[in-house]
Amino acid sequence: MSELEITAGAGHAGLMEESPYGIPSGKLAMWCFVISDAVTFSAVLFAYGYLRIGSPDWSTPFQFSPTILNGIVMTFILLSSSLTMLAAVEAAKGRRKSACFGWLCATTLLGALFAVLHLREWGRMIDEGWRLFQNPTGGSVHFGAAFFSVTGLHLLHVIGGVCALSVIALGYRRDRYNPIDVEITGIYWHFVDLVWMFVFPLLYLMNAS
Amino acid sequence: MSDQESAHGPGMSFFVAVWVALMCIVGIEVFLTYRHMPPRQLLLWLLILAFIEAGIAVSYFMHLKYERSALAWSLIPAVVFVVFMLDHVWPDAFRLASLRLLSQ
Amino acid sequence: MDNTLAKPAAHQHAPPEGFLRKYVFSVDHKVIGLQYYGLALVAVVIGMVLSWLMRVHLGWSTFPIPGLGKLSAAGAPDNIMTPEYYLSLMTMHGTIMVFFVLTNAPFSGFGNYFLPIQVGAADMAFPRMNMMSFWVTLVAFLVLMAAFFVPDGPPLSGWTAYAPLSAVGKDAGPGQALGQSLWGISIAIFCVGQLLGSLNFIATTLDLRTKGMSLARLPFSTWAWFITSVIGLLAFAVLLPACILLVLDRVAGTSFFIPSGLVISDRLQPHAGGSPLLWQHLFWFFGHPEVYIAILPAIGIVSHILPAFMRKPLLGPRVLVGCMAAIAFLSYMVWGHHMFVSGMNPFSALLFSVPTLVITIPATVAVLLWIGSVYGAKLRFTSASLFCLGFISVFISGGISGFFLAQPSIDTYLHATYFVVAHFHFVMGVAAIFAIFAGTYFWMPKMVGRMMNETLGKIHFWLTFVGVYCIFMPMHYLGLAGNVRRYSAFTDDFLVPLIPVHQFITIAALITGAAQFIFIFNLIWSRFRGPKAPDNPWQATSLEWSTSSPPPFDNFGGKQLVVHHEAYEYGVAGSAGDYVMQTSPEVVKAQ
Repeated sequence: MSELEITAGAGHAGLMEESPYGIPSGKLAMWCFVISDAVTFSAVLFAYGYLRIGSPDWSTPFQFSPTILNGIVMTFILLSSSLTMLAAVEAAKGRRKSACFGWLCATTLLGALFAVLHLREWGRMIDEGWRLFQNPTGGSVHFGAAFFSVTGLHLLHVIGGVCALSVIALGYRRDRYNPIDVEITGIYWHFVDLVWMFVFPLLYLMNAS
Repeated sequence: MSDQESAHGPGMSFFVAVWVALMCIVGIEVFLTYRHMPPRQLLLWLLILAFIEAGIAVSYFMHLKYERSALAWSLIPAVVFVVFMLDHVWPDAFRLASLRLLSQ
Repeated sequence: MDNTLAKPAAHQHAPPEGFLRKYVFSVDHKVIGLQYYGLALVAVVIGMVLSWLMRVHLGWSTFPIPGLGKLSAAGAPDNIMTPEYYLSLMTMHGTIMVFFVLTNAPFSGFGNYFLPIQVGAADMAFPRMNMMSFWVTLVAFLVLMAAFFVPDGPPLSGWTAYAPLSAVGKDAGPGQALGQSLWGISIAIFCVGQLLGSLNFIATTLDLRTKGMSLARLPFSTWAWFITSVIGLLAFAVLLPACILLVLDRVAGTSFFIPSGLVISDRLQPHAGGSPLLWQHLFWFFGHPEVYIAILPAIGIVSHILPAFMRKPLLGPRVLVGCMAAIAFLSYMVWGHHMFVSGMNPFSALLFSVPTLVITIPATVAVLLWIGSVYGAKLRFTSASLFCLGFISVFISGGISGFFLAQPSIDTYLHATYFVVAHFHFVMGVAAIFAIFAGTYFWMPKMVGRMMNETLGKIHFWLTFVGVYCIFMPMHYLGLAGNVRRYSAFTDDFLVPLIPVHQFITIAALITGAAQFIFIFNLIWSRFRGPKAPDNPWQATSLEWSTSSPPPFDNFGGKQLVVHHEAYEYGVAGSAGDYVMQTSPEVVKAQ
C-alpha cells in the first residue's frame, strides 16, 4: 500500500479514527493547497483591480485579433486539458494503465502548448513595447505590471503543473504512483484551469478594445 | 444516477457535456464583451459567469460534489469569506482615482 | 484488558541510520520540531541582542557601543549608531522576532514535536514535506541574515516594510538596496515553508488520530495548532504575493506601491500611479491573522499545561476551543485597525473597529475561564505553571491596552507611540514567549529525557516576570505622553524629559535579558546533567505522557494506542488515582 492509501484514515481495521472527510490525506492536503493558492491569486487580482480602478488612464489595447482570439484558443486548450485529465483519472481508476498514461501525456502536451502560446503572446507584446513598467499606447503603466505579473504567476503554475504531470505520468506507468496520486494531480490541474477562468475575463476581455 | 456514478461520480460523457457547457459560457463572455456596455456592467456579468464556471469546475471536474458535503462546507465558505474580506480595499481604490497627480 | 492494540502502527517508516539522516536531514517530526525550536532559540538571541543595542541607544544616544562599528562601519561610525542604522536594527529585530521566533517556536517547534504524539500518530501525515518545510524556513532565515552583511546593510523600513520607503530602492536610505530585497525574498520563502507546515498539521490532526481520539478529546494544544494552521494557510497566502509585488517594484520597475511625483533625496522616482495604501492593506490582511498565529498556540499550550498543575480540568473546555475558533474567524475582519491613521477611508475604520472590539470578547472569555479554573485550585507551583500564570497576567495587561487602540478616536493619538509598542510587546513579545517558556519547562523532560532544574527555573521566572513589567509598563505612560516610536533619539522639547524613563527601561531590559541566560544555561546543563526524566513526571494525562522520555522514533514503540478518556481528567471522582490518562482503560462514572 502506498503511503497515501495508508493515511486514508478510513478505519484501518479499527486502528484509527475516521477522517471527517473520508478522503486520503494527500487529497485533503491538495485541497488545502488549492484554497491557499486561490487566496494568493485573489490577492493579486484584487491588487490589479485596485490599481485599475485607481487609474483613470487605463488602456484597453487588446484587439480581437490576435490577442482575444489567442486567449480564446488558450482557454479552449486549457479546458480540453482538464477534460483529458479527467479521462486520465477515469482510466487510472479503471486500472487501465496505458490509457491513463496516454491521457496524461495528452494533458501534459496541451499544458505545454498553452505555455508556448502564452509565451509567444508575451513575446509579441514585448516587441510592441509592453513592459512591466511601460505602456506603448501612453496609458497607465500599471497595465503591463498587472498583466505580466498576473499571467506570469499563472504561467508559473502551468509550467509547474506540466512538470508534475510528466513526473506522475512516468511514475504511474512504472507503478511508483497509484490512481489517487493521479487524481490529486488532477485537482491541481483543474485549479490551474479554474484560475484561468478568472484571468481570461478579467485581464483579457475587460481590456478588449 | 447509477451505482457506478454515485460511487465514483459521473462518466466521461457527462464530463464532455460539462466541457461543452464551459466553452459555451466562455462564448457568452466573449459575446458580452463586444456588446459595448459600460465597463462596470461588463465586469459584473463577467464575474458572475466566472463564478458559475468556477462552481462547475469545482463541483464536477474537481469532484467536490461527489465527496462528503463536510469537505465542501469546510473549504468553500472559508475561502469565500477570506476573499470577501479583501473587498475592504475598494473604497481606497475609488478614492485613488481622484487623487491622481495631473500629467507630469 | 490491554489498553493498546499490539499491532504495528498504520503509518511507519524505517528507523533512520547515520548521523545525517538521524539529526540533520530527518523526516522524524520530533527532530524537525527540535530543529525549529533550535532555530527559534538562535533567532531569539539575535533578536534580543538587537533590542539591547536599540535600548542602549535610546537611553544614551551618544554612547558609543563597543564593537558596533565592526558590525557596520557605515551604520555606526565611532561605534555610535546613526538614526538609519537604529531603524535597520529595529527592522531586523521585529522581523526576526515575529517570524522566526513567535511563529516558529510555539507553532512549528512544539507543534511539530507534539501534534502527532498528542493525536496518537507515529509521525506527521507527510514526513518528507515536513522536512522540506524546515529547510525552506532555514533558507529564509539565512537569506534574512545575509542582509546584515551586504554592503549597504539591513533594511530600515520596519518589519511592516511600508511602501514607498520599502519599494523605491536605494534612494530611500542605507539598507534599502539589496537589504530590503533580501527581506522581501526571505519572507516570501518563509511563507512557502509555513504553507507546507500548515498542510501537514491539518492533515495529521484530521486523519491520523488514533482509535478513540475523537476531535472532542483532543488536547487544547492540538486544537490550537490545528486552528493556527488553518489561519496560516489563508493568511500567508496573501503575504506571498505582496512580497513578490514589492520585490517587482524594487527590481523590475513596476509601481504597484509607489505613487507618481515622489521625490526622495532630491531625486524624482521613475515610478507612477501606485498606492502605498495597497501595500498596507495587503500586508495587514496577513499581519493581523499573523499575530493570532503567534498567540493561539500560546493559548493552547498554557491551557494544556495548567490542568496538570491544578489537578483539575479547565472550566468550559468546549467554550475555550470555541473561543480559539472565534478568534481565528474574527482575525480576518480587523486588519484595518493598524491603518486608522493611514488615510484609509474613515468609514472603513468603523467597519474594522467594531470587529476589533468584538474579538476582545473571546479573548476575555478565555482569560475568565483560566482565572475561574485556577481560583480555588491547589495549584502546584513549578516553573511551567508559574510561566502559565505569568502568561495570563501579561496577556491581560497587553490585552487591555488593545481595547484603547481598537477605537479610531483614541488610536489617532496613540498610533505610532510607545503605547502601541507596550501593547504588542506584552501580548506577543512577552505572553507568547512566556508560553514558550512554560512549554519548554513542561515538555523538555519528554523531549530530551532529562528534568530541568526547578530552582533555576523559578529564579528565571521571577526575574523575567518583574523585568518585563519594568520594561513595558512604563511604555504606556510614554505613549500617552506623546513619545513617538521608531525614533532613534529624543531631542524634541516634549520628549527630552522622558529620557530618564527610557534609561530605566533600558536598564530593566538589560537585566531581564541577562536573566534569560539562566534559562539557556538551564536548557543546556539539564540536557546533559539533569536528572533522568520518567515517562510521566507531571502525572499528566495526554498521550505524550503515555510513552517514554524521549519517545522512540515511531512515538509509541510500534503500538497503536486506544484512547478512552477526555484530555484533562484530573481529580476525577471515583477513579483510582487523582488523574486518568487518556489511554487508561479505567472506566469512570461521568461527573
